[in-house]
Amino acid sequence: MQLSLVMHDWRLLERIVGLTNRLGCAYTKLNVSAGDAHYLATIDFTGPPDALRRLDAQLTRLLNDDKEMSR
Amino acid sequence: MRQREPTVSEPADATGAQLVLDVLADEGVEVVFGYPGGAIMPLYDAMYDHPIEHILTRHEAGAAFAAGGYARSSGRVGVCMATSGPGATNLVTGILDAQMDSIPIVAITGQVRKELMGTDGFQEADVTSIMGPVTKRSVCVRDVMDLERALRAAFRVARGPRPGPVLVDIPNDVLKARCPKMDYFAARPMPPTCERPDAGAIDEAIALLRAAKKPVAIIGGGGRSANATHLYRELVAMLGIPHTATINGLGCAAPGDPNFLGMLGMHGWKAANQAVHAADVVLALGMRFDDRVTGKPDKFARHAQIIHADVDASEFGKIVPVKVALRGDLRQTLGQLVRRLAENPISSFSSWALDAKALGGALPTDRAPHGELSATDVLDSFFALAPDDAIVTTDVGQHQMWAAQRQRATHPRNFITSAGLGSMGFGFPAAIGAQMANRKRMVVAIVGDGGFQMSIAELATVGRYKLPVKILLIDNRRLGMVRQWQELFWEGRYSHTDLSDNPDFITIARGYGIEGERVEDAGELRDALERFLRAKGPTILHCACFPAENVWPLIPPGATADDAMENAFKESEPVPVVA
Repeated sequence: MQLSLVMHDWRLLERIVGLTNRLGCAYTKLNVSAGDAHYLATIDFTGPPDALRRLDAQLTRLLNDDKEMSR
Repeated sequence: MRQREPTVSEPADATGAQLVLDVLADEGVEVVFGYPGGAIMPLYDAMYDHPIEHILTRHEAGAAFAAGGYARSSGRVGVCMATSGPGATNLVTGILDAQMDSIPIVAITGQVRKELMGTDGFQEADVTSIMGPVTKRSVCVRDVMDLERALRAAFRVARGPRPGPVLVDIPNDVLKARCPKMDYFAARPMPPTCERPDAGAIDEAIALLRAAKKPVAIIGGGGRSANATHLYRELVAMLGIPHTATINGLGCAAPGDPNFLGMLGMHGWKAANQAVHAADVVLALGMRFDDRVTGKPDKFARHAQIIHADVDASEFGKIVPVKVALRGDLRQTLGQLVRRLAENPISSFSSWALDAKALGGALPTDRAPHGELSATDVLDSFFALAPDDAIVTTDVGQHQMWAAQRQRATHPRNFITSAGLGSMGFGFPAAIGAQMANRKRMVVAIVGDGGFQMSIAELATVGRYKLPVKILLIDNRRLGMVRQWQELFWEGRYSHTDLSDNPDFITIARGYGIEGERVEDAGELRDALERFLRAKGPTILHCACFPAENVWPLIPPGATADDAMENAFKESEPVPVVA
């Protein structure tokens, strides 16, 4: 599963890595680039399908809160 | 973080610390719970002559739990504060507790000066990283010009759509820095948006309900968070549907509703668990299918199609497959369901509700030896005598489950418990928070002897502020829930659960200026409870109960409603003696 994630706080990467590990998944490729007021992370995840689905959903929630905090 | 221009061009006329307090006041905060220390001293100095009330707890954990109790009982954001390093780390459990139960809290921590950050300075900790996994967001504000925006955002995110805790860590030099006063009203955030569920999904949900023969509704903590109790009551009454609640949903059902089956889950009422087990449609509202509710997920409600309404899309399909997902604010969802069903009613399920009720009987209990106090008798009597609008908090363990089974809360904000995290030490400080939010109401902390000793220092807080919190101490001289599991699942090997050397709790309470009494004879219980409930100030009733009593029913972890255990001891057998 590849996700492109927009982060306003680059420290979110720490949360993403922690959550990935906790759900029994891993990442095989990670690329982060800085924009004006945000960061774009493109990450390839591997793991059981159910865990990847949960990870995707929880990352969406995490990024929504990050977006709110940056307003 | 980006800087922002001041909106008022006056000369420097405030400090970061003053700004923090002014923003808190503007956000509606009247009281904060905290403990001072070095790095946060500028904020405490500003508080010295600020109208916001500060409650000094005796441990930072007490401050976090009190903020949780305040928020749970009022629906407002609870605020706690602590200094850097150990002060901040002592908040962690209370903050995670709020995260697990979706409780809005803003935690403010002092941090060492920016120049010391990363140098292993005195009382330095990487608090934002420590707090990351236990909060919705945790931020460190390094520039006073960013402070107001960060605080406003913290309140906005804490409030919702799904509430939770947010941490704002502020270095000492940022608290001291001068800044122009901001235009508070210009910066005041909009309230969280109330998302409405998709109309097509509502149609699908109604179609499923219309075709159902044995539907059951389950309400969770979302009913409380969304302030949706009245709509929930209206919906279940319209449908005549049997319904149950997770522990966080207790109090949502209308008092005396004959179709309410009691609490669901591991220690839930038999009728509730059996009805869900037999259901063909489950209407799950604002709940997250915790393992203490589902047991074995693939066997949970295995004949049912599940309609799941929640504000958080990440909950859909997380534990159990969902047929219809209703994403949105629960009040909006319930409002739409009620409107649509009023226009085009469904035949009442009242006949099935009677059958569902008949699936279970009275709560099974253990017998106390002659004359000795039984914890369940204490709680039965307490709930029978306590006023309808009393706010009850519990700690964690056997007494929590017995109370949850027996509570008669008329509103979900009247029964407050650490559900998801199960934090011992929660109940007493949470009652302090609830009392601060509801100054004229009766607040009772039901605690066990284990958990009470984790927060016993907060007797000083109650004594200092003369808060009329009542403490109902269920003392079985054991870590009872662990002892029960050792008895049932670990061959009676009672490893480190014996608390028979408990202190004299009444003497300790008196040391803090709090009166109380001890009761150990069943014949004295009722009079003692009446005196306890009549007492005006803070008071404690120490109930010395027999130690072998277990919580029944019990669905073993990972099992199903069919595997529920009831009291193992027959009437003819001697009462078991606990080592």
